[in-house]
Amino acid sequence: MSQSDVSLRHNVRGQKDDTAQSVLDRTIERFTRHVAGHSSRRSLFGRIGAWVTFGALLPTLPVERASAAQTSQPKFKPPTPFAANAQTTDATACNYWRYCAIDGFLCASCGGGVHSCPPGTSPSPTSWIGTCFNPGDGQSYLVAYRDCCGQDACSQPMCLGTEGDQPSYRPQANNDIIWCFGTGALIYNCSTSVIVGNAS
Amino acid sequence: MRHSRAIRSGTGALVLSFIVLGVSSVASVQAKADEPVVQEEESDIVKLSPVTPHRILVQDTVATHAKDGRIYVVDADKAKLLGMVQAAYNGNVVQDPKGRAFYVAETVWSRGNRGDRLDLLPAYDPQTLTITNDEVLPGRALVTPKKNDLAISQDGGRVYVFSMVPTNAVHVVDTATHKVSQTVDLPGCALAYPWGNDGFTSICADGGLANVSLKAGKAEVTHTKPFFDPEKDAVFEHSPTRRSDGKTWFISYSGLVYPTALSADSKVEAPWSIQEAAGMKKAQAAEAPFAKTWRPGGWQLSALHYASGHLFVLMHEGTFWTHKEAGTEIWELDTATHKLVRRIPLTAPATMLGVTQDEKPLLFTNDSEGDLFIWDMKSGKQLHKMPHLGDDLYFTIALGE
Repeated sequence: MSQSDVSLRHNVRGQKDDTAQSVLDRTIERFTRHVAGHSSRRSLFGRIGAWVTFGALLPTLPVERASAAQTSQPKFKPPTPFAANAQTTDATACNYWRYCAIDGFLCASCGGGVHSCPPGTSPSPTSWIGTCFNPGDGQSYLVAYRDCCGQDACSQPMCLGTEGDQPSYRPQANNDIIWCFGTGALIYNCSTSVIVGNAS
Repeated sequence: MRHSRAIRSGTGALVLSFIVLGVSSVASVQAKADEPVVQEEESDIVKLSPVTPHRILVQDTVATHAKDGRIYVVDADKAKLLGMVQAAYNGNVVQDPKGRAFYVAETVWSRGNRGDRLDLLPAYDPQTLTITNDEVLPGRALVTPKKNDLAISQDGGRVYVFSMVPTNAVHVVDTATHKVSQTVDLPGCALAYPWGNDGFTSICADGGLANVSLKAGKAEVTHTKPFFDPEKDAVFEHSPTRRSDGKTWFISYSGLVYPTALSADSKVEAPWSIQEAAGMKKAQAAEAPFAKTWRPGGWQLSALHYASGHLFVLMHEGTFWTHKEAGTEIWELDTATHKLVRRIPLTAPATMLGVTQDEKPLLFTNDSEGDLFIWDMKSGKQLHKMPHLGDDLYFTIALGE
C-alpha cells in the first residue's frame, strides 16, 4: 500500500463524515422537537418513577430466580458430588440433576422425554427410586427411574449415575435390574426419570 | 539396409523372449513342485481339545443390542478366539469345575422382541460348542449380568439360577437329569454363592445372609444377623468365593473386606480395610460423600487366586458412590496377612478382572473399547492385548473357578 492511497482514502472518509454529521443533527433535532411537542414533563417523571419502583422487583420474579440458578456460584449447598456438578436445563446431558442414579440410555435422547417413553415402547409400572438434589430450588426429590420397554436398547450415549445405587439384593435401590416388569416382553429400550415426591 | 536392421532387431527380440519364457517356465515348475497340488475339499468343523486352565470363557453383554449377547471361548496363551456361543439378553454362564460342560442362562422371545418368553439353560459340550441339552427354566432374573446370578456346585451336580419371576427365588437344576429339582423361595434375598456340594448362600436386603442347605434333599434356610448397613456401605455382589469350601471375601463399597465362611451356619469375621492394608487411612463411607481416596470399583471388580490366597481388586481414586467407576490399578492383597502385595497400574481403565487357577496364573482385564488384556499374574506384566474381542466384556470364567 502506497502513501498516496492512504491520503486518498482519508479524504473520502472525511467527506462522508461531514454528510453523516448533518443528517444526525437533523434527526436528533426533529426527534427532540417531537418529544417536546407531544409530552408533558409530568408524564416523563411518572414513567421514570414507575421503572425505579417496579424495576427493583424484577429479581424476585421466577424468571430471574431460574436464570440465577445456572450461575457457577450455587445458591444452595449441594449434598453430594453429583449435585455439585448438576444442571437443570439440558435433559439430554448426563449431569441433568434428575440423573443422579440413572443407568442406561436417556429416553430424552431416544425420541421420548425426561418422563416420556419414545413411540413404540411402553413404560413399566415398576421402577426403583432414587433421591436427587435440584440445584434450582435447593430441594431433594424422589425420582422413579421407569424403563421404557418393548424395543431393544436405544443405544444413544449412555449415562451411569450411581448415587445411592445399591446392589440387586436391595432391588428398590438398584439400577442394574431390567425394570420392565408388567410390560409384555421385558426388553429394555431407555430410562426415564419421573418425579414422584419431595424428599426434603 | 534399414529393412535388414529391422529384421535383425526383430530376431533379437524373439530370441530374448524365448529366453525369458524359458526361465519363467522353469521357475513356475519349481514352485509347483514345492506346493502340494490343490485338491477338492470337504467342509468340516474344528473340534477343540479338552478344557485347559488357560482356556477361558469371556461374557460379552453387548449392551447396545443386548439381545445379541455372547460367550467367547479364548485361548489366553495365544490370545486367540477359538469360538463363541450365543447368550441372549443379559445372558450368564457357569462352567463345570472339571471343565466337562458349561451352562448358559439366556432369555429369548418367540417373535424376537415380543411373543412368548423362554428362559433357557443350554448345556454345551466344551469341545464342539454344541448344545447337549436345551433345558427350559421356570424363569430367571433379568439383570445386567453378575457372576453370582448363576452358580454351580463344587461337583458340578447342581446349577443355581437366581430368579425374580414372580418373586425372589433360586431354581436348583440337577445337571444329570437337566430338571429343576426344587425352587427355593428367598424373599428379600438375592444371588447365590455356592459352598461345596451342600448348598449356597444369598445376600439379603437387611445386610444379613440366607443360607440354603440342600444336604437333606429339601432346602433348609437359615439366616444370619445383619453384618453391614446396605444404605451406608453395601457389599459388592462381585465379591469372590472359593467354591470348594465356601470361603468368601465380601468387599464393601468403601473397601472393607469381610472374610466369611459360608455354610448352613455362615460365620462372618471382623472386616479389614484394603486402604489400611496399603498403609493408608481407612476410607470413609456414605457419611462423607465428598471424601476422595482410593476405592474399589467397576463391574466384576475382584478375583481370587485360590492357591495363593491372593485377592485382586480394581481400584480408582474417587468419592463414595463411585463404586462402578473403572479401576486404574489392580491391587494385589494377601488374604492371610491382610497386606498389600503389589499395585499394578493398568494401561487402560478396567471394569472387569479375572484370574486363572493354575500355577502360572494369568490375569484378565478389559477396557471401554471391548479389548481383552492378558497379564502374567506373578510378574504383573501385560502379555497380550486382544483388540476389540467384543463390545462389553463383563467377566471371565476359568477352569476350576
